[in-house]
Amino acid sequence: MAMPMRRTLVVLHRATCRRLTNAEASLDVRQPVPLFVPVRTKKRYFIPPAVRARAKPEGNMEAKARAAGIVNRQENYERPINISCTAGIFDPYIPPEGDARLSTLSKEGLKQRGEQIKQSASSQLAIRKIKEHDSLFTTKTFAERAQEIFVEAHNALTQFNKQKIHSLVTERCYPEMTRGNRFKTIHWSFVESLEPPRVVHARCPDMVSKGNLYAQVTVRMHSKQTLAVYDRFGRLMLGSEEQPKDVLEYLVIERHLVNPYGQWRLHGKIVPSWAPAKDPIIKTVMIPGPKLSAVQELDAVNFEVPKPEAVQWYK
Amino acid sequence: MSAVFHWRLQVRPQQLSCLHTSASLESKEWEKKNKKVFPPQLPDEPRRPAEVHHSRRQIKYSKDKMWYLAKMIRGMSVDEAVAQLEFNDKKGARIMKEVILEAQEMAVKHHNVEYKSNLYVAESYSGKGTYLKRIRYHGRGMFGIMDKVNCHYFVKLVEGSPPKTEERTSLDHAKEYVQHLKNRTIIHSL
Repeated sequence: MAMPMRRTLVVLHRATCRRLTNAEASLDVRQPVPLFVPVRTKKRYFIPPAVRARAKPEGNMEAKARAAGIVNRQENYERPINISCTAGIFDPYIPPEGDARLSTLSKEGLKQRGEQIKQSASSQLAIRKIKEHDSLFTTKTFAERAQEIFVEAHNALTQFNKQKIHSLVTERCYPEMTRGNRFKTIHWSFVESLEPPRVVHARCPDMVSKGNLYAQVTVRMHSKQTLAVYDRFGRLMLGSEEQPKDVLEYLVIERHLVNPYGQWRLHGKIVPSWAPAKDPIIKTVMIPGPKLSAVQELDAVNFEVPKPEAVQWYK
Repeated sequence: MSAVFHWRLQVRPQQLSCLHTSASLESKEWEKKNKKVFPPQLPDEPRRPAEVHHSRRQIKYSKDKMWYLAKMIRGMSVDEAVAQLEFNDKKGARIMKEVILEAQEMAVKHHNVEYKSNLYVAESYSGKGTYLKRIRYHGRGMFGIMDKVNCHYFVKLVEGSPPKTEERTSLDHAKEYVQHLKNRTIIHSL
């Protein structure tokens, strides 16, 4: 702040000195100061960046960025498609009604147990095609292997080991298994197998071009498992640690036959339409009611909560 | 009047490394608190209440003005807080109400909160956002540096009923003071 004042004073002093002759200087006579003195306005020591940045940048911005070494990520307009697994289950197996409900000693039970896969011709054809590519394939060993894959995949899910899950489970099945589980703790254990696993269905669809074969084999498994799901805060959300449950499942295992590095991986599960309802979660959930106009009132007594229809779906 | 260069008065380079080590412009610590996973509780432990952390960044409002509203709703239940903010005339109140409703929805959808009304505001405060500087012109060639202010707002909702704060009347305070005076004694005396 002292600098501008000093500058002005210096100029004024110089102006007076110029006018004074030697004789007058000795007498110290001051003439009137010239009117035209360069007095500056208050110097702005701080200029906010917005004022300086008014000048728009000219020139080639691309060349400048390249010279400076700035690399921008290229925008991808393509969507990646994964060809190591199919997108769904083709020609799904429809499990017979009352499977695993009847006692094995009755006549119907024996019939069910004795149901050989040789009934279905297309399944046999599919198995023959699989044996062309993989000569060591047999239904008995494969059923055991399928159960092993299932148990390993679920154990990896409890530890949330991403690499291992990806090697045991296809890309289609992975999000279904892991959605919403990232911040939850899952305790799962396979207690025992009640019946030996059986191959019940096989299909060999070829995708896009002829000869691009994928094999999908359905395995029926009856076993005892325990499941306990805890939420982010360690509170029990679903199931219980000690109580095991009997589970009848139809697993679909898939492999890309043409690919020499293809592995048998879990592709999905088939839930039959007659499956019993699952246990409810330990939480009250609000189901939105019907949309009413301003005049209507909700008939709470006669109102029925809409239930989803019993359809076979695959997960 | 040039500035004399005092090395001791200035900050040494060794000291510079310990300045500004924790918070930076892009730090999102509050949001990261939602990703913490607790281990499963044993059946005999008391049930841990669910917590949801939510924030909104770079709100075009002053942090000091926001503080008054944040202080007002501390300790209120969610319904009460939303009602108070809905009928408050300040600009920040509308934004805060949106943030709290978002947090409530997040709690029910993603954090396993059973009843959406069973939440209360445990923590709520405002923080300084980025400031833009502009010139404000005064007379006689004078100027001032005007700050275009932005603020952040942070809120933490916890499951359960709001904790009851014991109300102490002035009589209680007076009694306590008198008791404190009476407790005075001389130690190591005869």
